[in-house]
Amino acid sequence: MKSQRLKRKIVPFVFLAPFLGMFIIFRVWPIISAFYLSFQEVKGIGTSKFVGITNYVALFGDRRFVSSFLTTSYYTIATLLTLIPIPLILAVLLFQRRTPGKEVFRTLIFLPSLTSLVVVGTVFRLILADTGGLVNAILGLFGIAPLRWLLLPELAVPSLAILALWRWTGMNIVYFSSGLTTIPPEIYEAAKIDGAQSLALFRYITLPLIKPIIVFVVTISIIGGYQVFVEPYILYPGGRTPGEAGLTVAVYLYRTAFRNFNMGYAAAIGVALAGIIFAVSLVQFQFSGFFKK
Amino acid sequence: MKGRISLILMCVVFLLVSGTVYAQQKEVKLTFWTFVEKHADYMQLAVEEFNKANPDVKLVLEASAYPYEEMHDKLLMALTSGVGAPDLVDIEISKFGLFLRGDIQLHDLTDLVDEYRDQLIEARLQPYNYMGKQYGIDYHLGALVAYYNVDLFKAAGINVDDIVMWEDYIEAGKKITQPDKDIWMATVETSDLWTIHTLMEQRGGGGYNAAGEMILDCQENIEALQFMQDMVYKYNIARVAPGSYYHDPSYYAFVNEGHVASMMMPQWYMIRFTEFMPDLFGKIAIRPMPKTTPDGKRSGMGGGTGTAITKQIDPAKLEIAKQYLGFAKLTYEAHKRIWTDLGFDPFRKDVYDDPELMKPLPYFNNEPVMAVIKDLFAHNDIKPEALGPFYPEIRELLRETVCYRAIEKKEDPATILKEAADEIRALGK
Repeated sequence: MKSQRLKRKIVPFVFLAPFLGMFIIFRVWPIISAFYLSFQEVKGIGTSKFVGITNYVALFGDRRFVSSFLTTSYYTIATLLTLIPIPLILAVLLFQRRTPGKEVFRTLIFLPSLTSLVVVGTVFRLILADTGGLVNAILGLFGIAPLRWLLLPELAVPSLAILALWRWTGMNIVYFSSGLTTIPPEIYEAAKIDGAQSLALFRYITLPLIKPIIVFVVTISIIGGYQVFVEPYILYPGGRTPGEAGLTVAVYLYRTAFRNFNMGYAAAIGVALAGIIFAVSLVQFQFSGFFKK
Repeated sequence: MKGRISLILMCVVFLLVSGTVYAQQKEVKLTFWTFVEKHADYMQLAVEEFNKANPDVKLVLEASAYPYEEMHDKLLMALTSGVGAPDLVDIEISKFGLFLRGDIQLHDLTDLVDEYRDQLIEARLQPYNYMGKQYGIDYHLGALVAYYNVDLFKAAGINVDDIVMWEDYIEAGKKITQPDKDIWMATVETSDLWTIHTLMEQRGGGGYNAAGEMILDCQENIEALQFMQDMVYKYNIARVAPGSYYHDPSYYAFVNEGHVASMMMPQWYMIRFTEFMPDLFGKIAIRPMPKTTPDGKRSGMGGGTGTAITKQIDPAKLEIAKQYLGFAKLTYEAHKRIWTDLGFDPFRKDVYDDPELMKPLPYFNNEPVMAVIKDLFAHNDIKPEALGPFYPEIRELLRETVCYRAIEKKEDPATILKEAADEIRALGK
C-alpha cells in the first residue's frame, strides 16, 4: 500500500524526467554559465580571468550599449504600435462570418512565419532597395520621391519594423483568433438584440473579453522586441546598419562575442538584457492590472 | 557439384583479391568546413587528383559549405569548447585574427609551407603567419585591379589604356558620368570596406604597417578617405552603391544594366561578374589601378581565406591532411587549377609562365587577365597587406562606421579615422 503511494508520487517525475533533464542541460545550465561568464574576461581561446563586476561597470560607460538599448526600445515600441492593433483588427475581420475567402487570407497571412529567413532577407533587401525597389515604386505612384530605406539611419528602425510586421502578423492573428473563439456567441446575439452596432460590439464585448490574450501578446512582443536579432541580421549585411542606427542589444551582444571575441563582456550584455526585459515586463504587468487579479 | 565448387572458389578468390586491394588502400576520411561552395568543389576535385597521385591512399573529404557568419561562429564555439570542429577549415582573413587569440587551436603548417616557400609569394603567407608560425594557406593572391566598362568609356570617347594616373581617372569620370541617366564613373560603399580598402592599401596605408604598428589614422588613410568623399561631393563622379555594398543583389543588377563605368576590387571579384552580370559579356576590361604618384604602386591585396588544420584532428590523420593540403594549395598543378577551376589569381610565381594562364577570356574583353597580374608582379606593383592583432575590429569599424560617416554624414576624414584609431588603441589597453 505504501509502495503504491510512493509509486504514484514518483511516476509523474519519471515522465517529466526527459523534459526536465533537457531543460536543465540546455536552458538552466547555460543561463548559470552565462551569468558566471559575465564576471570573467575571456579574450581568446582557453583564456579566462575573474574580473568581478568590471564588465558591468564598463557597460554603463559604453556608448554603444546605451545607444543599442535606445534603438531596441524604439524598435519595441514601433512593433507594439503595429503588431497589436493590425493583427487584432485582421483577426476580428477574419472571424466574421460574412468575410469572403477567409481560408485563403488566413493561409496567406500566416505564410511569412514559415518562410526561410535567408530568403526573406534577400527578398526584403530587393523590396526596400533604393534603386528599383518595390516599396519605392509604390511610393512613386503617389508622387513620393524614392526613399533610401536601407541606407539612411532614420529609416533603419522603420525598415526593421516593416519586416517584423510582415513576419509576425500571422502569428499574432493566430493568438487573437484563439481568444476570439472563447467568446460565447450568445453575448454578441444579446447585444445585437439590444441594438448594438459592429463598433460597439468590438469596443464593449470583444476587447474586454480578450484582454488576457492582448496582455499575453504584448508581453511576448516586448520580450521579442528587446531580443530582436534576426531582423537586422538578415536585412542588413551581417547586421551592419547605416551608422549603427539599427544596432540592437542582441546584435551588439553577438558582435562582441563573435566578431570581437570578448565573451565575458558579451555575457554581461546578455545578463543586462535579461534584467531590462524583466523590468519592462513588470512595468507592463503593473499597468495592465495583471497583479490585481 | 563441380559447378558449386567452382562458384565457391570464385567467391574465395574474389574476397581475397578485394581484401588485398582494401589492405593496400588505406581509407582516410577528413572533414572540411567552408563558407564558399566553390571552395568545397575545388577541394573535392583536389581529392580526386590526390587519390590518383597516391594510389595507396583513398582520401575521402566530407566538405560542408555554411553561410559565412554561421560557419565562423560554429568554428569559434567548437574550438573554444574543444569538440565538434572539422579537420580542415576555411577561415576568412577578417576573422583569422580571432583564432590566433589565446590558446591557438590550429596546427602549425610552417614545415609544409617551407617545402614550397621559394616559389610562393611571401606576402600572401603573411596574413596567416603569427609569431613566425604559419597557420593557414590562402587560395589566391587577391591583387587589386580596376574593372572598366569599355562600352561606357567608348561612348565618352575615352580609351581605358589612357588612364594612368588618378587625375586621368577623374577627368574621364567627369565625361562619363551622367547623373540624369544614373550613369556613374564609380560607386562607393557605405556598409562594406572595399572602396576604402583599395584606396588605402594602394597608398601604402591600411590597418597596420609592415612593422606591425596600427596606422588606421595615418596620412595615407586620411587622403584615401578624403579622395573617396571627393569622388562623391567634389568631382561628382560617384554615388553610393545601390544596397550600399558591392555584393548586394541590387548592386549586381545596377552594374549589369550599365550604370557603372568602373570599380576597384580584388581580382576574385571577376567571378561575381561572370556569375551575376551576364549582360556585360565582352564589355569588361581589367587594368591596373590608376597611380597616385608617378612612382606609386598600381595595386595592393584584398581579401583572402586561409585553410587551416584544427587541433581536433585525429593525430593519426595529421600527416596525410598536411600532405593533402600541400597538394591542393601549394603545388604547381594546384595553382594552375586555382586559376582554371576557381578563377582566382594564384600566388605561386612560376605558374604565371604557364600558357594556361595566358588564354584570353571572352567575357573580359577577350583579353588574358592574368597578363595584367603578371605585369604587376614584374614591376613590383602589388603592395603586401600587413595584419595585426586587432585587424578583425578594424575591418568591423571600416564596414560599419568609417565609410558611412565620411559619405552619408560628410564628416571630416581625419576626425573619423582618429576616433576609430583611438577606439582600437583602447582595445589594446
